[in-house]
Amino acid sequence: MLARILYNIIGRKQALPESELNAMAGEGDILMAAGLKPGGMGRIFRRSVRIRQVDAGSCNACEWECTALTNPVYDIQRFGIDFVASPRHADILLVTGPVSAAMANALRKTYLATPGPKLVIACGDCARDGGIYRGSYAVTDGVDKVVPVDAYIPGCPPAPARIAAGIMKIIEASSKIK
Amino acid sequence: MAENETYKLTDNETYREVAPEEFRQECARLFDNGRGRLRMMFAVDSRETGEGFNIYAVFSHPGKDLFEIVVLKDLEEKEGGITFPSITPKIPAAHWYERQIADMFGLLPEGHPDPAPLVLHGLYPPGVYPLRRDISHDQIRGLLDEDKEDLSSFMKVKGEGIYEIPVGPVHAGIIEPGHFRFSAVGETVYYLDARLFFTHKGVEKLFERMGFDEGVKLAERLSGVSSFAHSAAYCHAVERMAGVALPIRARAIRTFLLELERLYNHIGDIGNMCAGTGFAIGYAKGALLKERLMGLNERLTGSRYLRGVNAPGGVLADVLENPAETLRTIEGITGQYKSFIEFLTGATSHMERLDNAGLLSREIAMALGATGVAARASGLDDDIRTAHPHLYYGQLVFESHTRMKGDVFSRMMLRADEAACSLAILKSILHKAKGKRLEGDIALPAVEVPALGRALGYVEGPRGSIFYYVSSGRDGRPFRVKPRAASFCNWPLMPFAVHGNIVPDFPLINKSFNLSYSGSDA
Ligand code: SF4
Repeated sequence: MLARILYNIIGRKQALPESELNAMAGEGDILMAAGLKPGGMGRIFRRSVRIRQVDAGSCNACEWECTALTNPVYDIQRFGIDFVASPRHADILLVTGPVSAAMANALRKTYLATPGPKLVIACGDCARDGGIYRGSYAVTDGVDKVVPVDAYIPGCPPAPARIAAGIMKIIEASSKIK
Repeated sequence: MAENETYKLTDNETYREVAPEEFRQECARLFDNGRGRLRMMFAVDSRETGEGFNIYAVFSHPGKDLFEIVVLKDLEEKEGGITFPSITPKIPAAHWYERQIADMFGLLPEGHPDPAPLVLHGLYPPGVYPLRRDISHDQIRGLLDEDKEDLSSFMKVKGEGIYEIPVGPVHAGIIEPGHFRFSAVGETVYYLDARLFFTHKGVEKLFERMGFDEGVKLAERLSGVSSFAHSAAYCHAVERMAGVALPIRARAIRTFLLELERLYNHIGDIGNMCAGTGFAIGYAKGALLKERLMGLNERLTGSRYLRGVNAPGGVLADVLENPAETLRTIEGITGQYKSFIEFLTGATSHMERLDNAGLLSREIAMALGATGVAARASGLDDDIRTAHPHLYYGQLVFESHTRMKGDVFSRMMLRADEAACSLAILKSILHKAKGKRLEGDIALPAVEVPALGRALGYVEGPRGSIFYYVSSGRDGRPFRVKPRAASFCNWPLMPFAVHGNIVPDFPLINKSFNLSYSGSDA
């Protein structure tokens, strides 16, 4: 929300030219185009979903795309989705990286610290199966080798809109089941 | 090759083999009381070719486009294991390299003041050295014992009122993992102990089982926002090993994209520093501008992170195809960039926080081998682009910038200067392309890698110098690939830069360095 207001303030002077934004988004609003609907959170989470992002040994490009979701261009907060600082406040763990051997324990502890109901999303190709690092002595070949995973978002890295669409999809899907 | 003979491999690369008793002296000679620079240091397991373990130390000297490499042969087998003479007492910048060599190869630096483990967190039993070539990924995995994880050896600061604040490895923000221990007195940080290498992914060993072409993908994934710089340095090394020169258009495109990567990083970093002071509008403006550059990256190369472009022998995307259109975008960004910097420098509340925060002295920066923005903002003129001109840099007129004070303010303003310089370089290349002065192929047809070759590659990435050493085996496949990320040199600076600052300023100071965990942890 704050980011939206900020965007309106600073946007007046320095908004991206429409052509640029459209080039990035395809058409119109990037996240709307990607299938996000305001208030479309389904029954489980109502209108608010809190995400704890966990870097389990990524190359860091995936995190930058997650961070981009909070910038004024994407502004994912307006859909009721936000990133939080503690797993205790989280509904979703968004895990990136192939899970390095040194991060496996920390990831497990973070999972246990997250109250249920919770969802785990493996974000990026290496979170799915180790990706380019698959088979290395120092990785575990994917998040599901360490904690149960509910959904995968492919890409190396997945673009911000793709991550947002993935989050939305899994929320919708899990609302239907339960 | 006769012992002690100096021979030239490429134009600016010499190797000199020495015996253990000469090693310290030779390194000290090249270090030249701090005037020389230790660029990287690593080991090679050449037992299968009958040459045992070797240690390489790469030096350069300001003002000379030359890399002098000392190769230590015939390491001594002693009762405690295989040892080599530590050069850390004379050359502090060697401290992490030597600990890394001890962890990864089981070669012990004799005389190292603090030979504690660095990389592996005690996850493997003693005697498991991942980079030895006679142990496979699977064998090492089988020996992994997570319960043995050992993070206990933190420096303890004792005294009245001193307490410890542990942070991480999972941090509050969307950032990479590392564990920090602050020893604080009230709000003031007395000492910071940083435990890194949580994102260690065994990259060096992975390179060995890939082909040289395939390795580009891995180099691109060493550190997300330096994807292009890492793959460019890697390709540079492979091309030098093969002894091939790139066509002018390929060189210009690589230079162009290196500067574009620097630009989006510097602008993003300047914006992120606003997050460190809680200056939300500055952060938002920086993020918008960065996003616009990411959009340009995607339009030019199909990748927001400039991936899939580099290949040994050139580039795969003709980025200079529509120079007029790109020029218009860059002009637009230049305008926005200028008003962004004017806006920030006029925001006293923000700028005041930067002044005097996170001071890094020139002496410390020099002793520990700082590189990139961290070095140049502390008065060390070290820029690979001007010190070792390569690609298209030799044909461009530009200067490398320095600032003297070494605080957060200097690092921000240095980035601002460098971003402006990058914009100018981008425009200059585009004008040349428009004037049809960069015509030619974007890649060589094929790059033939020789058997038993070796070479260095390097670029100035957004965070500082990046080096790759590559060598090939008898079969012409990768034998050893050693990346040296900029952040590997800069992480040890942090305890010095935060000493005496307040804990709440740590995020700001940290952001002013913007160090990569993944690149350094490898
Ligand atoms: S999926 Fe790709 S971009 Fe994401 S962390 Fe893994 S290697 Fe990096």
